[in-house]
Amino acid sequence: MPTFTINGRKIDAQPGDTIWNAARLQGIQIPYLCASANLKPYGSCRLCLCEVDGQRGYPASCTTPVRDGMVVRTESPKLNQLRRNVIELYLSEQPEDVLHASEQLRTYAAQFGLQKVRYRRSGTSGHHLNGNGHRHNGHSHGKTDQIARRDYKVDDSNPFFIFDANKCIACARCVRACDEVQGTFAISMSGRGFASSVTAGNDVGFAASNCVSCGACVKECPTDALVEKAVVQHGKPEYTTRTTCAYCGVGCNFDVGVRGGRIVSMKPVDASPVNWGHACVKGRFGWDYVYSKERLRKPMKRVGDQWVECSWDDALAMIGSEFNRIKKSHGPDALAALSSSRGTNEENYLMQKLMRCAVGTNNVDNCARVCHSATVSGMMEVFGTWAATNSLNDLEKTKLLMVIGANPTEGHPVTGARIKRALRRGTKLIVIDPRRIELCRYAEVHLQLKPGTNVALFNGLANVIVSEGLHDKKFIEARTENFDTWLEVVKKYTPEAVEKITGVPAEKIRKAARLYATSGASMCAHGLGMTEHKYGSYGVMTLCNLAILTGSVGRPGTGVNPLRGQNNVQGSCDVGSVPVYFTAYQKLSDPLVQAKFNDATGRPLPERLGWKVPEMWDAALEGKLRGMWVMGYDVAQTDPNLLKVQAALGKLEFLAVTDLFFNETCKYAHLVLPAASFVEKDGTFTNGERRIQRCRKVIEPQDGIIPDDVQMIRVSEMLGYTMNCTTSSDIMDEIARLTPTLAGVSYEKLDRGFGLQWPVLNMAHPGTSVMHTEVFPRGKAKFAPAEYLPPGEEPTGKYPFTLVTGRVLHHYNCGAQTRHSGLIEFVNRDILEIHADDAVEHGIADGDMVKVTSHRASVELPCAISERVPPGQLFTTFHFPDNNLNTLLSSSADTLSKCPEYKVCTVHVEKIVKKSGKRNARSHFPTRKRDVHARILV
Amino acid sequence: MPETKAIERRIVLANLDQPGYTPDIECYLKHGGYASLRKAAGMKPEEIVNEVKASQLRGRGGAGFACGVKWGFIRADEKKPIYLICNADESEPGTFKDRQIIDRDPHQLVEGMIISCFAVRAKLAYIYIRGEFAGGARILQKALDEARRNNFLGKNILGTDYSLEIYIHRGAGAYICGEETGLIESLEGKRAYPRIKPPYFPAVLGLYQCPTIVNNVETLCNAVHILRMGGAEYAKIGRPNNTGTRIVCVSGHVNKPGYYEIENGAWTLGQIVNDLAGGVRGGKKIKAIIPGGSSAKVLRMGEVIKLRQKQPDGSMAEKEMGILDIPYDFDNLQAAGTMSGSGAIIVMDETTDMVKAMNNINAFYAHESCGQCTPCREGSLWLQKITDRIVRGGGRASDPGLLINVADNIAGRTICAMGEATAWPVQSFVAKFRDEFEKACEKK
Repeated sequence: MPTFTINGRKIDAQPGDTIWNAARLQGIQIPYLCASANLKPYGSCRLCLCEVDGQRGYPASCTTPVRDGMVVRTESPKLNQLRRNVIELYLSEQPEDVLHASEQLRTYAAQFGLQKVRYRRSGTSGHHLNGNGHRHNGHSHGKTDQIARRDYKVDDSNPFFIFDANKCIACARCVRACDEVQGTFAISMSGRGFASSVTAGNDVGFAASNCVSCGACVKECPTDALVEKAVVQHGKPEYTTRTTCAYCGVGCNFDVGVRGGRIVSMKPVDASPVNWGHACVKGRFGWDYVYSKERLRKPMKRVGDQWVECSWDDALAMIGSEFNRIKKSHGPDALAALSSSRGTNEENYLMQKLMRCAVGTNNVDNCARVCHSATVSGMMEVFGTWAATNSLNDLEKTKLLMVIGANPTEGHPVTGARIKRALRRGTKLIVIDPRRIELCRYAEVHLQLKPGTNVALFNGLANVIVSEGLHDKKFIEARTENFDTWLEVVKKYTPEAVEKITGVPAEKIRKAARLYATSGASMCAHGLGMTEHKYGSYGVMTLCNLAILTGSVGRPGTGVNPLRGQNNVQGSCDVGSVPVYFTAYQKLSDPLVQAKFNDATGRPLPERLGWKVPEMWDAALEGKLRGMWVMGYDVAQTDPNLLKVQAALGKLEFLAVTDLFFNETCKYAHLVLPAASFVEKDGTFTNGERRIQRCRKVIEPQDGIIPDDVQMIRVSEMLGYTMNCTTSSDIMDEIARLTPTLAGVSYEKLDRGFGLQWPVLNMAHPGTSVMHTEVFPRGKAKFAPAEYLPPGEEPTGKYPFTLVTGRVLHHYNCGAQTRHSGLIEFVNRDILEIHADDAVEHGIADGDMVKVTSHRASVELPCAISERVPPGQLFTTFHFPDNNLNTLLSSSADTLSKCPEYKVCTVHVEKIVKKSGKRNARSHFPTRKRDVHARILV
Repeated sequence: MPETKAIERRIVLANLDQPGYTPDIECYLKHGGYASLRKAAGMKPEEIVNEVKASQLRGRGGAGFACGVKWGFIRADEKKPIYLICNADESEPGTFKDRQIIDRDPHQLVEGMIISCFAVRAKLAYIYIRGEFAGGARILQKALDEARRNNFLGKNILGTDYSLEIYIHRGAGAYICGEETGLIESLEGKRAYPRIKPPYFPAVLGLYQCPTIVNNVETLCNAVHILRMGGAEYAKIGRPNNTGTRIVCVSGHVNKPGYYEIENGAWTLGQIVNDLAGGVRGGKKIKAIIPGGSSAKVLRMGEVIKLRQKQPDGSMAEKEMGILDIPYDFDNLQAAGTMSGSGAIIVMDETTDMVKAMNNINAFYAHESCGQCTPCREGSLWLQKITDRIVRGGGRASDPGLLINVADNIAGRTICAMGEATAWPVQSFVAKFRDEFEKACEKK
């Protein structure tokens, strides 16, 4: 480790570190503008110049590597003069109104003693620079400045930030952040010399470029040339509060900036081991729904056809009395509740406690049911666990990444960006997906399988690995069982046989198998393309089989890692808000669990296993289920076979809905209660790598909204059961007492750093980043043989297309939050993507309205020709309720976990022809290109 | 110093002005072309490097770095691919030598490149040619095709196990692409921002982060002649440490502007201007000479140069002389406080308005600044703005001082040498012609 002297002080540096960074880490400030700890050395602003003994001139400290024993000075009259001159040059071209010049430049000007800018530009018209950075020729013959000057238009096309090139100092931190951190390469420096300026896309402005609005550029800008619109409008934050993002399961850490009691910014935290200072458009900017005018602010009850505002006391009393009434007349199992994997662990725990202790039923489930429940049942079978085996930081260590049925650059954009960084460092990539997602561009091999054929494909990969002898015999011998039985099944799945089922060429299967088996550290990340199938659990098992076959588990840079869709999919199940398990998947039938539960809560665990979400709809239709409380889960928009769900909801005697907005489910409710948003409450979320992280109250709930946890505590009281925990910290302590894998979790420990990754076995335990290093929870991992069976529906003459649903970057699930955010400016409707060949065959042109019909229903959508889908497939999203898209889907679900088969639905498509003439209904389609652009041009 | 009239000594330019000499391979072969390559094919790469080291050849692009030393940076056990790039982005104002070779004797460059590539064990080479040299690029492409057909290029050259490909890459019109790391970035398909140093030498980390030799056109041509005559023999031409010949480009107010190949150090600046370039137009007096391209510091007629020269016995002695008496080579011009640079000698007669000349140079550098680092990006434009307003009669008494101040803030403070290239002319013009600048500032 090199040691050097800086301003008379001896400090250590990491080998290869620059003077600037080594000094920064020791708290020594060297003035700078273009340097950033998040970016590679660049050395353009020349403010961080220093003097080095024995070296000529004034090297830039941000690009000069530390040498052992070097003697550096970063302050001297000469250096101060050089810095003053640099700032003077900058200021000479900043906007003349000093209030509008960059704050940082003014601060430095004062620091370096700059009194007067000697070369102020004069006011006479000269040669202006236009937005393209090219010079106009003015024809003035004045006696002063006749040369180019900066006079740019402000680019305010992005909904969330502006770019004022007049304040830009061409340090290219934004460009470098876009390249190095986000990997989108949306912006670049254009023009040269004095005309150097930042250009978005092909000089089309930020909104129309391929910018993904991750905000990395805005964060890096030292002069506020790039700045959040909210900051421009409301001012810079007075203080910040650290919290965890409430969008996807990556769980990014943010510092929420507050001014005058109002949130004005959310900035990703550099030190966070989850997002390392990066963010995506939703987390960074999409929090503005918190201030949406459309938010529910007062409870409302249905009176006839009308919604009538009522007091909180009345509303909560109504739940109490209705639940009591139904319980008395039909028993506790006639009631059910759904909590939200967008809610906190504490809320989810309270909901199951409410149902189990106050009502006396196991009828509690949450929206994880419809996304990753198959991951749980699949991983349980092979490993005996229900969570990611490794951590996001393992992306730095893996040599080969296999992404299956996930689209991280849109669904988990921060992880997506991190994957792209790993790929640029040389990590190899296999993509398994029916669609040509963005990552396919960087993949060694893309296995474009037919939807619903996962099991066959993974058996095929295993077949190649075994037949070519690439399996890890030692690992199999020492740490697995059931190999031989399994092998008998896999033997049949030769690449050629699998090609027939999946449509993936045998050679590609061989190539991928060899890559996976021989990289040295292979890691899998999967999404809902793995789980939302009729045999989703078996798909996950066959994937886990591959991991144990090659010893790709239990080591850094390996494992099977579900990318969790919602922020707390992991946690909502971990804390027992599921009908068939208690916390951390403890069996309800286990006498030890029952005793523990009884001791802690004073109530016995109900005996009958509860209903899973789809089963609840059957029960409601049969009249067995009569009352429900649904919290933060819009079942009437997101569940499959919507007509059935809606009919079931319509049959309920009592339905209470707690949500941020008046959602589709509210339309069937008798009582609607506002919810507190993630910035208005305390709690914890557990991200996709098992990291329990704090969500902190930043502002008070608006308009006296009673937070969800208090709603449940008060209703419980009315049902005659007093919850003995009132603060979220107390609730976590109770969870810890009842859950072996969370035994060492407490708020005090969580607050010390960036949360804890379970298992946390005791108070001294630091948490676990890589699981299964020694043994599996079930002892030896078990090879789980699984035969390929066809999906619930296969294309027929009448329904020749397979419709796959998913999401786009700018929206999140049912769009509850994102539709009420500025994000709506990017994408404001669902669009059907179709391959060009199919479009031609059906006479469909880009932008046409089409009717999509399944066995169950029809919906109308605008159509876009897309390279992302292969012929015979269609893709769309269900972010917008007006299409009722999920009415198309069947009730088919994973046979083990009841995770719905969202990913396979057969349909036919026809162009909608207007009755009046032969022209189709094209005028419905917004001419704005952004909606299409946002998905096709990724 | 010999009092005889200066004469050329043509080695690199030996053929191209011969009547009937054409750029095709037949003509080149007829004139003994590719003989050096045949000789090289029978040598080991390190033997060629040693010959070049012995020749003491210095780079002809501007910096005068010892070519053999540069080649020596390539490690014998190098595992990465090694690249060689011919820097044909000739764009220093006043310089027009490389294009003569490219246009009229392209095979000499191709042969020099092949020998050089063989010496440094490069399997792939590029000619980065200035975008404006569209014709030159076509001529070179034809030459490469011919060389390939004759097995001088491509697979198993001349029956050896050595194979080489050379590609032409045309620039898009930026001076900064002549800076070798900017050139490499451009070749990689990026914006031509010069790279931060260290690493100081592309020979260590260059194209695609691999060892890369970047040499100028004229330098590479000299490899042909070094092999032909042997390094030691070549070193006898010129002076110690300033060996071989040099193509100088004389422009400005002279009777016979043009390119002249001279023995290094054999003639003085005055002899070149008066004997070779025919003296100043219309019998006027010389006012100033820029001796090595527009970025070299200007010499003022009448100033007394104190030249420290190495004596035959090895001791150093200082000698006072006028600017015309400076022997033209690398070391003497450096000792005179300027440089021979790219060999471009720009002569200005007594009628020249030095402020306007300065403004012209400033306009060039402001236009060509890549914009990466602040002192050059902002400073180069302010230099132009200031001289521009002086020329327009809007000068202020403080302007000459301000020019120096801005320039001082650029030189030595930037990532690449373009900072110096921008600052040196200003520093020298204002220092040596301050009276003219002050007078111009009074003019309203």
